[in-house]
Amino acid sequence: MRPILLAGHERALTQIKLVPPPFLPFPQEGTVNFVGWYNREGDLLFSTAKDQHICAWFAHNGERLGTYQGHQGAIWTVDVDPTSTIIASGSADNTIRLWEIKTGKLLKTWDFPTAVKRVEFNEDGTRLLGVTEKRMGHLGTIVVLDIKLDVNAEQSDEKVMTIVCDESKATVAGWSYLSKYIIAGHEDGSVSQYDGKTGDLYYNFPAHELNQQITDLQWNQDRTYFITASKDKTAKLISAKDLEVMKTYPADTPLNSATITPKKDFVILGGGQAAMDVTTTSARQGKFEARFYHKIFEDEIGRVRGHFGPLNTVAADPTGKGYASGGEDGYVRVHQFDKGYFDFVYEVERERQNRLAAQGH
Amino acid sequence: MAAQTKHDWADDDDLDEISTDLPPPQKIQNKDGTTTIIEYRFNDEGQKVKTTRRIRYITHREVVNPRVAERKGWAKFGQSAKDGPGPAHDTTTVGENIIFRPSTNWRKDARDESKDPNAQAMKDKLRDKKVKCRICNGEHFTARCPYKDTMAPIGEAGAGGSADVAAGLPEESAGAGAAGAGKKGSYVPPALRGAGGAAGAGAGERMGGKYGERDDLATLRVTNVSEMAEENELRDMFERFGRVTRVFLAKDRDTGMAKGFAFISFADRGDAVKACEKMDGFGFRHLILRVEFAKKAQ
Repeated sequence: MRPILLAGHERALTQIKLVPPPFLPFPQEGTVNFVGWYNREGDLLFSTAKDQHICAWFAHNGERLGTYQGHQGAIWTVDVDPTSTIIASGSADNTIRLWEIKTGKLLKTWDFPTAVKRVEFNEDGTRLLGVTEKRMGHLGTIVVLDIKLDVNAEQSDEKVMTIVCDESKATVAGWSYLSKYIIAGHEDGSVSQYDGKTGDLYYNFPAHELNQQITDLQWNQDRTYFITASKDKTAKLISAKDLEVMKTYPADTPLNSATITPKKDFVILGGGQAAMDVTTTSARQGKFEARFYHKIFEDEIGRVRGHFGPLNTVAADPTGKGYASGGEDGYVRVHQFDKGYFDFVYEVERERQNRLAAQGH
Repeated sequence: MAAQTKHDWADDDDLDEISTDLPPPQKIQNKDGTTTIIEYRFNDEGQKVKTTRRIRYITHREVVNPRVAERKGWAKFGQSAKDGPGPAHDTTTVGENIIFRPSTNWRKDARDESKDPNAQAMKDKLRDKKVKCRICNGEHFTARCPYKDTMAPIGEAGAGGSADVAAGLPEESAGAGAAGAGKKGSYVPPALRGAGGAAGAGAGERMGGKYGERDDLATLRVTNVSEMAEENELRDMFERFGRVTRVFLAKDRDTGMAKGFAFISFADRGDAVKACEKMDGFGFRHLILRVEFAKKAQ
């Protein structure tokens, strides 16, 4: 496969997202913080970086649709609504902003006392959660906003709900199936389950090693389970309903991001030594590879090289045909899988397929 | 074309720099279905650059969601507002081709390729080696020898060293021999070669004098070896008869294929005699080996 390199940011990427169909990541100037997700149809890809604009790209050829200008600080996160009409972004300038995808127009700005590290729409796009940083005497919070999925509608200023994380600040959060729960990952390595309507804490579970921050949380397609990536060098597959750790994927480097691939039962992990440690630790190549694991058998099945800095974010194409990764090096790399990727099955899987085929006839 | 031939070739540069208008881009349809596109532009130094590209257009039809199709028609905005249709060169490039084929034992595969051959070959080479000082034959490196300032190396010490040379050198130079005979040991000025050569029983001016020493003792020459043979295989075959100190399989420098002959040195001459009898005429990889004692090079 030939990756497409997108260089639209001047600094490290923070997140990439694909419009419901997946987006391809493009290089940003500077480090890429986040490769936004592909949108639901997988044709658009959004990326945010530590510079001050969001990029939208066409996933199939890497063409840049445009940039969303207006943030005054590094942008940490972006999310696309399920209808691919608007995107929300969270930034170090202490705002969450809403943008019209088609024109790049700023629709709404919400101000907060501290930086916003993560935003996510719920399944039907009526609500948006934002994770705010713990800083300057303010505790970390998860705020929920009502969203009208209409470009011309007046958005409400009111916060529907605020969850205060008084023990350990939340670093990532997301909506489960039917917006029933809000799941948050914390700085101390634990995962919490809150009620999606009232914000009551049901459950807090130390999924990862103590005080090893959870760096990413991404859902499978029906949002019944999710994958967490942590600085403790593992990624875990956890069910949303009872926070049961179903699978563990050990790696040899701190992880910054993890995603679940549709179509094939794989997960992709991204990480690498932190940029600030690269010169002070081993001179060996920094493990800046995307790692593929089999979702069920937990075996590592391959790696994809390319970045020359740690991977800050990985996003899978919702159609299952590719994935995108964004790195500290400022590039988004969009990959379309080859035939070999789709052909790969375990022996037991093949036997089962054959058995099912035999029964069918 | 005709106009150009009238110029002296020396004028061409000047003409190019003066003319500010570029020839129009050309598109030529080739018979084989490809299109040749010739474009001209000025580079950063103001030189005219001609770019010729041959392109084959392949129409790939894909049915997409109507909303996706609609989005493809959207106007660009923000920093991309001025970009034309298609990916812009400053933001989008195509990376190197990456071969990614998932596999359950990819880790083992990778290790087999990188570490194992080298480590294994090195182990094989060193299996029978001991560190031996060239000055006093002690078990230390020559550089560490306590006598290194007071004694000359054995090989240069005169006739008395003759036996030691025969015993010591094969081991020392085995590595070099296996590495492809590229290394001939350290340089000896012609004036001193006589002395060393005298010790080496008349090896004389020959550069490879050292090699001659061990050959006649317990070294077999094996010919009619298959091109696909490996040193390890030969070692395995001959080790049945006794301790093998050196296996040298001549290989083509470019292709890495065996050239068809090899030398096997034994520690003990009796083993070599046995091996010579048994292995001569032995069938190996569709070929019948011919084994004989290596002749002393003249």
